Amino acid sequence: MLSVDASNGLHEELESLALRNKARAIAVALHDLETGFRFSLRGDRWFHAASTIKVAVLLSVFRAADQGLFRLDDSLHVRNRFFSAADRSPFRVSLDRDATPELHASIGRTAKISSLAHAMICGSSNLAANLLLDFVGVDYARTVLREAQVEGVELRRGVEDHGAHEQGINNEATADGLLSLLSALRGEFLTAESKREVIRILLEQRFNSMIPAGLPAHATVAHKTGEISTACHDIGIVYLPEREPYIAAILTEFDPDTDGRRETVAAISGAIYRSLLSTKPKSNED
Amino acid sequence: MRTELLRPIDGLRLAEECRALLRPGESEAGADGTHHHLPRFFYEIGSWEEAHEIRLAPHFTLAELMLVDCREARLLLSQFPHYVPCTVLLLARFLEDFRREVGAPVFISANGGYRSPAHQIGGAKSIHAWGTAANIYRVGDTFLSDAKSIGRYRAVAASLSPAVFVRPFGREEGQTSDHLHIDLGYASLTPRECSEAG
Repeated sequence: MLSVDASNGLHEELESLALRNKARAIAVALHDLETGFRFSLRGDRWFHAASTIKVAVLLSVFRAADQGLFRLDDSLHVRNRFFSAADRSPFRVSLDRDATPELHASIGRTAKISSLAHAMICGSSNLAANLLLDFVGVDYARTVLREAQVEGVELRRGVEDHGAHEQGINNEATADGLLSLLSALRGEFLTAESKREVIRILLEQRFNSMIPAGLPAHATVAHKTGEISTACHDIGIVYLPEREPYIAAILTEFDPDTDGRRETVAAISGAIYRSLLSTKPKSNED
Repeated sequence: MRTELLRPIDGLRLAEECRALLRPGESEAGADGTHHHLPRFFYEIGSWEEAHEIRLAPHFTLAELMLVDCREARLLLSQFPHYVPCTVLLLARFLEDFRREVGAPVFISANGGYRSPAHQIGGAKSIHAWGTAANIYRVGDTFLSDAKSIGRYRAVAASLSPAVFVRPFGREEGQTSDHLHIDLGYASLTPRECSEAG
């Protein structure tokens, strides 16, 4: 197990990184499946979840498929019209900011639920996220989180729901909560087939400038980033060929115009990696 | 049009599980208190290939008017034959007129043609369950997603027949903001070879 000294060392290094990079706040939650080591720095502090909330949507979509509510190869009408959690008024997501032009080309037609899940995670498509959440329903998704015993993730609405945002209705998460969400994805909550598919989707993430950027080239990461004006997060499962994976949730908050936000998350990822890899496996210490 | 592929059937003769979903000839109350009989006569479609082959009008295949997503009842979604009200012929004819008038291809959205009474969107309360309504999301290269485009094409559609209803642009109930809804009312069509007795 990681020693108290090592844990304190990581704590100090992360605090120092936060200070040096002018972060308003950082939170880190960590679970090393090789040693059982758990670490939490402000793990219970709430942040705007940004696009990390899409992992909660992913869990609920696959849970619903496991429960036979639909099939992943079913088709869904692609429509850019959603209803605000604030007052049910309609709104649209901005297509300019979405990295999935192929999905936009499907507006009016249909897309497979599995393709939408992929676009929501790998391209962080807001359109796909809202389509899927609209389909399964916020109440259902919240129930799934409860059933999965995920605490610290508050899913309240779709993304780009500015009307709800103005009324303070936001998706929020803690680092501990997002860590438990990732743990639920790889645990027994989903069927083995769904679990494999969910991890595969997360492994195909296109945005790799945060957790993966702090790791050696031979690491692979099943992860999801989340960025808005003040928040910059990355949560993921880090796979290294020489050892069992570890799960990390890195949440940060900055003033809106601060540079180097992603680099800060990457540096935190690097610090975690160095800290874990410098320790002996649990079996050697028992 | 390959008319030999259009096989009319009396919905009352369908298997019970199908009848339970399509509710042929049943009366349905609208939100405004009016009552209408759901379609009783359908064309039986053997496969998607058939649906693509059946050209109801020069520029409209049957497939375009029966594309639904997974909010449709599982039995009707994933098993053939599919059943589409015979009125879909009238709808296609009207859409052809509309297309000629606007001089550009007209695109019908998924869930925008016939939806069964068991479809999760609108169900039997929706006029889409009569096979007389279409949601047009694009005309040529123009996506109908603002007041200007919807207003423009609404005027064209409404000018073609007094029987046509076109929803106005807007974000309130009964209005549309991302497509043009047109419908021909609660029309029914009984093919010549079918009897309404019984």
